Amino acid sequence: MTELLLFNVTNGLIIGAFYVLMALGLSLILNLSGVINFAHGGFLALGGYLAYTLTPHVGFWGALLLSPLLTAALGLVLERLLIRRLYGRDPLYSLLLTFGLAFIFEDGTRFVWGAQGLPVSVPAFLNQPVSNELFFITYYRLFMVAVVAVAVAALFLFLRYSRVGIRIRAGTLDLETVSTLGVNVGRLRAINFGAGIFLAGLSGVLAGGQLGLDPTMGSGLLMPSFIAIIVGGVGSLPGTLVGGLLIGVAAGVTAVFVPSASDAVMYVLMAVVLLARPRGLMGEEGLMT
Amino acid sequence: MNGIGRRTLLQATAAAGLVRLTSPFIISARGDSPVRIGMVDPLTGAYAAPARNEVMGAQLAVARLNAKGGVLGRQVELLVEDSANDVGTGVQKARKLIERDNVSFMIGDVNSAIAQAIAQVTNEKGLLQIVSGGHTDPITGTDCKWNVYRVCNTTRMEANSVCDVLFKKYGPKWHFITPDYAFGHTLQSAIEANLKTLGGTVTGAELTPLGTSDFSAYLIKARSANPNVIILLVQGQDMVNCLKQIVQFGINKQIPVAGTQQELESLEALPPEARIGNWMFEWYWNQPDVPHLAEFVADIRKVNGGKVPTARHWFGFTSVMSFALAAAQANSIDSLKLAHALSDLELPPEVKLQPNKVFYRGGDHQLMLSAFVGEARAHGPQDPEDLFKVDRVVAGSDIAPPVADTGCTLHWPA
Repeated sequence: MTELLLFNVTNGLIIGAFYVLMALGLSLILNLSGVINFAHGGFLALGGYLAYTLTPHVGFWGALLLSPLLTAALGLVLERLLIRRLYGRDPLYSLLLTFGLAFIFEDGTRFVWGAQGLPVSVPAFLNQPVSNELFFITYYRLFMVAVVAVAVAALFLFLRYSRVGIRIRAGTLDLETVSTLGVNVGRLRAINFGAGIFLAGLSGVLAGGQLGLDPTMGSGLLMPSFIAIIVGGVGSLPGTLVGGLLIGVAAGVTAVFVPSASDAVMYVLMAVVLLARPRGLMGEEGLMT
Repeated sequence: MNGIGRRTLLQATAAAGLVRLTSPFIISARGDSPVRIGMVDPLTGAYAAPARNEVMGAQLAVARLNAKGGVLGRQVELLVEDSANDVGTGVQKARKLIERDNVSFMIGDVNSAIAQAIAQVTNEKGLLQIVSGGHTDPITGTDCKWNVYRVCNTTRMEANSVCDVLFKKYGPKWHFITPDYAFGHTLQSAIEANLKTLGGTVTGAELTPLGTSDFSAYLIKARSANPNVIILLVQGQDMVNCLKQIVQFGINKQIPVAGTQQELESLEALPPEARIGNWMFEWYWNQPDVPHLAEFVADIRKVNGGKVPTARHWFGFTSVMSFALAAAQANSIDSLKLAHALSDLELPPEVKLQPNKVFYRGGDHQLMLSAFVGEARAHGPQDPEDLFKVDRVVAGSDIAPPVADTGCTLHWPA
């Protein structure tokens, strides 16, 4: 039983790492622009499908880099044409818009690539377990965790040390003052949105290699990401990191005892956090209201 | 332009455009009063692929019927609505098709729960319905209705067709990965009943929520139980995800993997190395010496981007053709007369497209279709889509439990 539990905690951390990558993109956009991006799952699926199309031409590694960039480029176009118009309004507007976009993404993906699932090939050496004992840790899953770690580190360094990153963080706290100081807030939001969508695209490529592609894949992965943000605390990127890992482990451990509740436990965890500490584990007071 | 600005006008135009988009797809028909067939299937959501294939099959049947003069001399229109894999939406769409579009016959749904809910509506309205793709037993069992027939198998038929093969090949200790809803529960209990008779045991069952993307936690448990075989009962994308992870983890090298229902849609979505295991298909496109089959395959290829038909295409096709056959026999499209005509009706070769006698059993309204038992393979020897090696074809009447055991009692209107 102890071994089973340990296996599932480790496994939960691996799954949680993936939630983190997606949730960080969501969190970036939410924190600076107040947009609850329901289309994030759509961008994720698009990232995966673009990688599927690109792989025969540029290989898996090329697609891993190019696909998130293309997804981010499309994100920037949509930000410029649609989402930008709703900044500063009630979040309900952007929520409704991105909710609609999510449907368009799902059906658009179905229209272009078909309703039937598609297999994604990853390099053969990644597609095997590390050892017979630790069979659930494949090289691909380790690689995913490594990519997540690098992406998270790069994001935190970017926000901590780069001029744009510092402005994004400042804008998250007080956008009006940042604007008054002469910072081009429109461009700041666009860069921030693009970075968030890049992370969604990257999640899509990684998820495609692990699970294959399906037009509905984004919506299935979106809810855990939202829960990760709420559990970790809205407004806090480290909180999102902790939230993602926590729900991954909670789902993994629950699967040992009550398999059918492994999805529900995430919501229970969210409810408990909201009741006991409404701002989330690391969130700031007042941001949830 | 009092109160109506350019923006308002643009918004209204856009809304009108959207309304057009949400209208059902209508196959254009000639003649004054066409016969309308309503079809509700989850064109979006997790079951979109099988649902769209069912619609494609139904459209082919309608085109063929219309080319030969329609049904009772009237052209046929197929009105398709999206249930979005949601019970409430499915019921709403079914009501709309019946009350507003005046359909004479209803087909649907892939999702068992929606199929059952629509059956309540059609029963209330006294309209003939054929359940094209929902497998849960009560539809032609405890919840059977005079106006509801079913084309696809019951879960008990699926279990009965393949359990003895799995038992002989793999051994007595089985572990289940089961989708946590009506279909999964009934299928698992049907298999457990077979396993008990054969003298086997269950080492455990992992109930997985529908739409699970990561099966690793369940697979860790299943492997630690050390069964002779892991039986996968999940379907659609869940089947794809689960099989893929089993192969990635190398579990299949220590514990074989098999199951009951497998679909071509799933095998095609898998990488070659994950196309493994013994299963049953409800219909298969590559069968030797079956009359009219080649023509059906060719017709579907034309409208399916060159891809072969799956069981789902045949379900949709057969649902529409059954309506036409019943109408010809009853010389009417009155639902009660049609329902009587379908009772014990045998499908002709150009519709059944398989060996064995295929007929709607009068006692429970279940189609007695063959089960194709065999093994998945990585690559097709002649055709890249020939991904299933059929070892034997079992007649539906040999695997269906007797009517008395289904719990079905039909109550016909006076």
